[in-house]
Amino acid sequence: MYLYLPVALTSINILIPIGLGLLVGVLSGLFGVGGGFLMTPLLIMFGIPSTVAAATDSNQIVAASVSGTYAHWKVGNVDFKMGLYLLIGGFLGGLLGVEFIKVLRAMGNAGFVIKVTYVLMLGIVGTYMFVESIQSMRKKKSEEVVQEKESRITNFLKSLPFQTRFEKSGITHSVIVPVFLGGIVGILAAIMGVGGGFLMVPIMFYILKMPMHVIVGTSLFQILFTCIEVTFLQSYTNHTVDFVLAVLLLLGSTFGAQVGAIFGRKLKADQLKILLAVVVLLVTVKIISDLTLSPSLLLSQGGGH
Amino acid sequence: MKNQCLISKAFIILQVLIVSFLLLSVNPASARLTAKANHDHITVDFFYHGSTVSVRGISDPDTDLIIKITSDEGHQTLREKGKVGGLLWMNVGELKIEHVPNVYFLHSTKNIEDILTQAQINKYVIGYSSLERHTEMNVSDEGEKSKWFNEFVKFKESSNLYATTAGKISLTEKDGVQNYYILTQWPFQAPPGQYTVTVYAVKDKKVVDTATSNVSVEQIGMVKSFANMAKNSAAEYGFISIIVALSTGFGVGLIFRKSGGAH
Repeated sequence: MYLYLPVALTSINILIPIGLGLLVGVLSGLFGVGGGFLMTPLLIMFGIPSTVAAATDSNQIVAASVSGTYAHWKVGNVDFKMGLYLLIGGFLGGLLGVEFIKVLRAMGNAGFVIKVTYVLMLGIVGTYMFVESIQSMRKKKSEEVVQEKESRITNFLKSLPFQTRFEKSGITHSVIVPVFLGGIVGILAAIMGVGGGFLMVPIMFYILKMPMHVIVGTSLFQILFTCIEVTFLQSYTNHTVDFVLAVLLLLGSTFGAQVGAIFGRKLKADQLKILLAVVVLLVTVKIISDLTLSPSLLLSQGGGH
Repeated sequence: MKNQCLISKAFIILQVLIVSFLLLSVNPASARLTAKANHDHITVDFFYHGSTVSVRGISDPDTDLIIKITSDEGHQTLREKGKVGGLLWMNVGELKIEHVPNVYFLHSTKNIEDILTQAQINKYVIGYSSLERHTEMNVSDEGEKSKWFNEFVKFKESSNLYATTAGKISLTEKDGVQNYYILTQWPFQAPPGQYTVTVYAVKDKKVVDTATSNVSVEQIGMVKSFANMAKNSAAEYGFISIIVALSTGFGVGLIFRKSGGAH
């Protein structure tokens, strides 16, 4: 059955957005990522204009992330305090990022540098997570072994002022750390047009040292607010949110997020990490192939009337 | 009085002769051409998935026909992809095209190059090559213009907004009149608006007559309400979109909780 989308001005088989929503929702509930990296290009592939795809995706992520956050909150896996600091950083970073885009556009070739940096970052994070997770799974001698030598970064973080305790995660950090890291991800998210969950989750694990299951719930909590802001701004300034498409997507994604959360609880932290590493690496490969293979069309939709 | 009446009659006859001469000089070989687009008011509701439009009419026998369906000309801005550093494909700039329709369908009884001179093709903007000449682009030279116009046509054809066919117009002759008919698929990608159907009668490599008709595409009902709200009440629209997403997400969470999906 086909449905006409009033803002995208196109018709789509309803099974496509519902199916895509379900798939991305599972990833969201499982790993605490928004899934914009996957959803937006898939929607474009199915004929949705790129501006509408990105804006509407953020609307459906609101539904998937509230569904996922709720599922994780019920089992005590959301660190609201940490989420709030990351959120403040992300919000400020997003504002900075939007301004930064204007400068980058004026510079011309900066987009190339950013894209390469993004691919490298994803590749390095994915590979590191993958290797580290395998090593960690092999080391089953004792829990104590996990206490690694304090790295220079950890020492530096501990030397910062405004240290505060994050009870839910069982860690102590300076307030500056989550705000700064949230800000970095916010800047990247604004520039790259992605939610940044794929960077936020490894940052929470490797730099903030949060427990994996709390990371997923907290990441979703943070993504929820970021996407509420983006949805409103996109509909207010660009008029590109397609409500009908969003409803179809979120029908799938809300269920998917619950299913993902249930699966996630059945997996161990290392298993979750290794799965996320595989997905990150697959995304990296996809972006590299998009960048290197000759496109069938050299033009894509911009603006105009 | 009688003289005045005679002068008046002579003046009318002269006017008729002048008008007849002018008409004959414009359309030397044709006296009749009609065009009617059936299903000329397409309504777009939630279940719209494109439509069909047929164009029919009569023309003089032994004339070839060209049917052009276009939207109004405007400007188009598209993102250009190019190789950066000789390695990576990325968006490298914007292609701005002026005086170009968003929708352009051309159907003819034969290949237009075989039935029209190049001058006539250009005069009536018939076919992609004349459309290319007609448009303006932000490119450095003619070679670049040709390259990007071809890419533009590829892009439009992939979106079903540009198409050309030859030999698909059916012709039948009866009582010294030629009837023509074509049934075309109207793509759902064509946005709401007014479209002009122009039929050209062609003889001896010249356009000898033209006739026009219209097709309008209009959103109705809830589709129209949503589209208008997104444009004209953007804040409320954004707010409602967020509330619906939040309540659906939360509602599904509650359903899973009640069904014991999570503990």
